[in-house]
Amino acid sequence: MDYELTNDQKELQQDMARFCKEEIAPKAKVLDESPSDKIGAIIKENLKKLAKVNYLGLGIEVRYGGSDLDLVSQCIAGEEVAKACASTFLSAWSSAYMFGAMLNLFGADEQKGRYLPGVVKADVIGALAYTEPDAGVDIAGIKTIAEKKGDKWVINGTKDLVTNAPIADVFLVLAYTNTDAESGSGMTVFIIDKDTKGISVGKPIETMGLRGAPIAGINIDNCEVSDDSILGGETGKGLSQIERIFENGKIGMATMAVGIGMACTEGATQYAKDRKAFGRQIGKFQEVGFKLADMFTYNDLGRMLTYRAAWGFDKGEKEANILASCAKLFAGEAITNIANWSLHVFAGHGYLKGTDVERLYRDARFCEIGYGTSEMQRSIISKDALDKFAS
Amino acid sequence: MDFAFSDEQKMFRDTIYRYGKEEIAPLCEEADLKGEFSHEIWNKMAEMGVLGLPFPEELGGQGADIVMCCIAGEALGHAGVDGGSLLAWGAHTYLCACNIFNFGTEEQKKKYVPKLASGEWIGCMGLTEPGSGSDAASIRTTAVKKGDKYILNGSKTFITNAPVAEVAVVFATLDRSKRHEGITAFIIEKDFPGFSTGKPFHKMGCKVSATSEVFFEDCEVPEENLLGEECGGWQIGLSGVEWDRSTLLSPFLGASIYSLELCAKYANERHQFNRPIGKFQAVQHRIADMKVFAEAVKLAIYRVASAKDNGVMLNPLQAAVNKVYAGDEGFRMASDAVQIFGGYGFMHEYPVERNFRDAKLGAIGGGTSDIMRMIVSRIMLM
Repeated sequence: MDYELTNDQKELQQDMARFCKEEIAPKAKVLDESPSDKIGAIIKENLKKLAKVNYLGLGIEVRYGGSDLDLVSQCIAGEEVAKACASTFLSAWSSAYMFGAMLNLFGADEQKGRYLPGVVKADVIGALAYTEPDAGVDIAGIKTIAEKKGDKWVINGTKDLVTNAPIADVFLVLAYTNTDAESGSGMTVFIIDKDTKGISVGKPIETMGLRGAPIAGINIDNCEVSDDSILGGETGKGLSQIERIFENGKIGMATMAVGIGMACTEGATQYAKDRKAFGRQIGKFQEVGFKLADMFTYNDLGRMLTYRAAWGFDKGEKEANILASCAKLFAGEAITNIANWSLHVFAGHGYLKGTDVERLYRDARFCEIGYGTSEMQRSIISKDALDKFAS
Repeated sequence: MDFAFSDEQKMFRDTIYRYGKEEIAPLCEEADLKGEFSHEIWNKMAEMGVLGLPFPEELGGQGADIVMCCIAGEALGHAGVDGGSLLAWGAHTYLCACNIFNFGTEEQKKKYVPKLASGEWIGCMGLTEPGSGSDAASIRTTAVKKGDKYILNGSKTFITNAPVAEVAVVFATLDRSKRHEGITAFIIEKDFPGFSTGKPFHKMGCKVSATSEVFFEDCEVPEENLLGEECGGWQIGLSGVEWDRSTLLSPFLGASIYSLELCAKYANERHQFNRPIGKFQAVQHRIADMKVFAEAVKLAIYRVASAKDNGVMLNPLQAAVNKVYAGDEGFRMASDAVQIFGGYGFMHEYPVERNFRDAKLGAIGGGTSDIMRMIVSRIMLM
């Protein structure tokens, strides 16, 4: 038993912290404040920078230009990106750690070879398209359908809230290939380039926070693809593939929460030192100091739970998905509170538009929502606990 | 990084859990109702060998490291052993015997540790005073050297095991004006002239541990019973932080797992409105929170414990964080467990009722949650 980071992990943490502070953090404000049709260029530049330190390839096989590190290391590095700019984190995670990881896990060699080297270098940006206007975590409710006509698949449907859609070169699209099949075995994931006929990306959607991460819907209208586009080459695997990659999404949300939490905690602590009232630092008042203590506590434990869950996946533990839900739930709720407390320490100065803490407060709110709300996580966790003691 | 328990650790946990469940837990409800120290439970723990867990075999112990000690605490809490019995064990082994083992002379170790390890003698530790709790540097119990003896005067309070103890490690000051730099530790035997204990307090929870005041009226302590050096007591008091924040919290972790299991079983069995209450989201919500709590506390405790075993310097922030979270959130979880059981949870015969009372101590004993937050915020603002 050893809870310490390895020397390599410590080095990765330090390198990423330094790099993100210098290269990523300075762009956070402009990304947040730019209109949604202008952020694409800036975020692409950030992804290019992250590619230079091989952040986008951390989890991808060496032969495709990645470094094939474990998920724990990806979390360690990801925290630093999220701390510097949560929008950049989300965009990068969606391309490399969701799209890329999904290809890495399930793609045929030819498919991997075609996309992964580009993903690692940020020459190719990927997006995962499964959510629909009427289907979120209840994935079985999607309406997108792929019908076999001759040797082609003809796909029709609408995808919603697809992170990276406005800048993506390629999508992983979930569709029904057999609506009569037993639940779970009728879905398939297709790899579809954005220029394919029938694919049209909607206008970028304005969001409350994470405004630098481009997001849009996709309309799929009689889009024709061949068997080569089926992820892994086999139909009917879509649901289990998406469910597995959802676990990366949960870990990603928890990691983002921890990163934003670090920024909130550091910012509020510095302010509590600098700001004086009634002749002393405001941090010396317990109402402020104890909030800082709680911020640290919940941030710290959220990080431990995230590493624990990630480590569980690295080791192939059976319970890793439950631990991932625990981490996502804990870190997600923690950051909602931490961001709130942080803004409160700044008081009136935190309420001003354009301050870091105000941006963090808006960014933070998504951590409880993305990849299954807190309510969904509780449902997953309690079902597991109740089933263990079913009479 | 390696979060795994070894096979040896898992087997050890299993053995302790089974023994606790079969031999000790059935005694706990009645003992808690009586609200008295139970020699029967004590002897069972002695038989199992946990009382001497961290000491070398030549001193009658098991040679366990700190992670193993936490595993034992967790396993017994999980087995349904009450918080009072586990507190009595913790005060005895970690606060009394460990201090003698770590700071005592060879003679002191040989004289006291084997008998404490076997459970023949019961130990306690006296630091807190009526006027000095978290502000431990302000203690008023004095020690004055006269010839080959120290003469102690003053009193201690809230001393776990005091009414049943043969041996006490106590802290007194040689010079109050020096605050913490005057504090000195002594090993006291109950027969020393001038030493006495008060009547056991009636406590809210952890009732199977006996707690009382301790009085020193010109109490004569032979000079060979000085523990460590003169004015070296503060360091002794501080030295056990890793132990306090892991081993002493581990029973609370175990109790939370026990409670989660009881709640999950009950939510499956209890039907209202034609379905198990576990089908209602409000009940599911609480059960999910209990699971998350147990996972988080487990990580918090074993992080501090394994760091100590691996020779990594203590991060005082992590130690304080454990206590804040395990204490405050643990009490909320224990309250939620009562809520799931509804009216039954309010009844003594349901262990969640006892656990609710026992859990409150987690936010108080060994430094309140407020004090922990004070420590964390002070370090952050440095």
